[in-house]
Amino acid sequence: MNAVAMNGLTKAYAGGKLAVDAVSLTLEPGEVFGFLGPNGAGKTTTVKLLEGMLAPSGGSCRVFDTDPAREPEKVHALSGVVTEHAQMYDNLTGMQNLLFFGDLYGLSVTESRSRAGELLAQLELAEAKDQRLATYSTGMRQRLSLARALMHRPKILFLDEPTSGLDPESAQNVHRLIRSLAEEEGTTVFLCTHQLRYAQEVCTRYGLMAQGRLLALGALDALREASGQGMTARVRAKAAPESFVPFRTAPEEYLLPLSSEDQLPQIARSVIENGGELYQLSTQLPSLEDVYFALTQKEANL
Amino acid sequence: MSRSMLAIIKKDIQGITANKRMLSVLFIVPLVLTIFIPSMFLLLTHFIPEQQAELTRLVEMLPVSVQGELPLRVLAELLLNYLMPPFFLLIPIMTSSVMSATSFVGEKEKRTLETLLYSPLSLGQIFRAKVCAAFFLSIAVSAVSFGVMLAVVEVESCLLGGSLAAPDWKWLLILLLVSPAVSLIAITLIVRFSAKAQSVEDAQQGAVFLILPVLFLFVGQFTGVLLISGWLLLGIGLVCAGLAAVLLRRAMGSFHYEKLLK
Repeated sequence: MNAVAMNGLTKAYAGGKLAVDAVSLTLEPGEVFGFLGPNGAGKTTTVKLLEGMLAPSGGSCRVFDTDPAREPEKVHALSGVVTEHAQMYDNLTGMQNLLFFGDLYGLSVTESRSRAGELLAQLELAEAKDQRLATYSTGMRQRLSLARALMHRPKILFLDEPTSGLDPESAQNVHRLIRSLAEEEGTTVFLCTHQLRYAQEVCTRYGLMAQGRLLALGALDALREASGQGMTARVRAKAAPESFVPFRTAPEEYLLPLSSEDQLPQIARSVIENGGELYQLSTQLPSLEDVYFALTQKEANL
Repeated sequence: MSRSMLAIIKKDIQGITANKRMLSVLFIVPLVLTIFIPSMFLLLTHFIPEQQAELTRLVEMLPVSVQGELPLRVLAELLLNYLMPPFFLLIPIMTSSVMSATSFVGEKEKRTLETLLYSPLSLGQIFRAKVCAAFFLSIAVSAVSFGVMLAVVEVESCLLGGSLAAPDWKWLLILLLVSPAVSLIAITLIVRFSAKAQSVEDAQQGAVFLILPVLFLFVGQFTGVLLISGWLLLGIGLVCAGLAAVLLRRAMGSFHYEKLLK
């Protein structure tokens, strides 16, 4: 069974704007999937479609074989959602909020209390648990939302920009938690973000969105291939061979395309045989960010 | 009713009772209506007997014949059984309006509604839980207000006139039928309105119109044109209950995630 299956999923808002345009993809259980794209690319709309908050205008989607448009409650019971629009109650404390949502998800009082305590500690909110939410900072609220989404041990977690507003340290912490959820509990994670650098740290597979359309889908290697961005060798050398010149990025610095690491000795040799001096030689893989920009550029050129 | 729904009901009621500003709004009107107005009436008519002349027309319609100066007991009964009921109906209307405006539009405004919608409760269950919360609170405030009003009238009637005033059986109709029905109407109208309202203030302003029909009762009562009989009251109660049932059903049908999150 797929954790998520979208088949030509389309959502047009009143006025004809296509927020999601015929997106098809599937997610295996336990996958950490990065759904990437700039603001307005259709990521949040996709999450709302998958949660049954919006009805698709075309195509279909299923979450663990349940149609969210037909049985949203069932999907809600097995999923947790963190989005910036889903806030909690300011007049309750962090703990009270979690207990309330524990009740909603049908947890027993003792279960709720121990799960809440565990999550608050994991997300470094143990000290603030008896403070009212009104006193929480943005980052603390964000982390409490994550705790709330995890209360009922969901099989799939939809995270819409979960680390926006977090300082780098808490963001790191949240990522560690996401990864351990996937590895230890087999939770499927659907992570929407525009912070590509963070996504690269946690996700195993990616979907790249732009203006409602899915540009590319796959693991980083596949995306690198699709973007035409391969491995490069970074060379810092004095008096390098003439053939390096077209790849010069700075005086005495070159970025050579590479098909495999086996070419490195050859590069070193050619510098030295040319009578040059080699200061640095290293391989470099395009980051998710490089790939993303290359792909969007490619799309724009079409 | 599931435990999850009870959790929402508890949370909604606590949300009101923990908020001092809300609580004072909820209690000021009932206190004025149940303590201040009856006391003013009894004290004025007792110490300034000329005031009684104004009431003659009303008293003439009553099933008691009194010559000369009215005994305080009669005045207290007139107050309790004929003048207070329309006033009293303002209490459930106001309480349920304030409560439902806060619990529906308030959640939308503070963006907590979306979180609630992601829960495994169906929209219908969430809706029912919220209506129940507003309804329970309204019934509770009405019951307490009635108790307070009765106590105030009886104590003053005893102190000033030396005898107790007998409450009419019509109060049973009011407490058990009219007031709950009116509460439900107010709640469902506010909820329907709240799908469009963008703020709590918006929704509460809409509720002001609910008071209009009660105002007609007032005017009728005071001018003596319309004296509320038991049968009329029963009729009003049944019509209100029917209306509440229809409105409740229709409000439930008009609920969609997409509409709520706009």
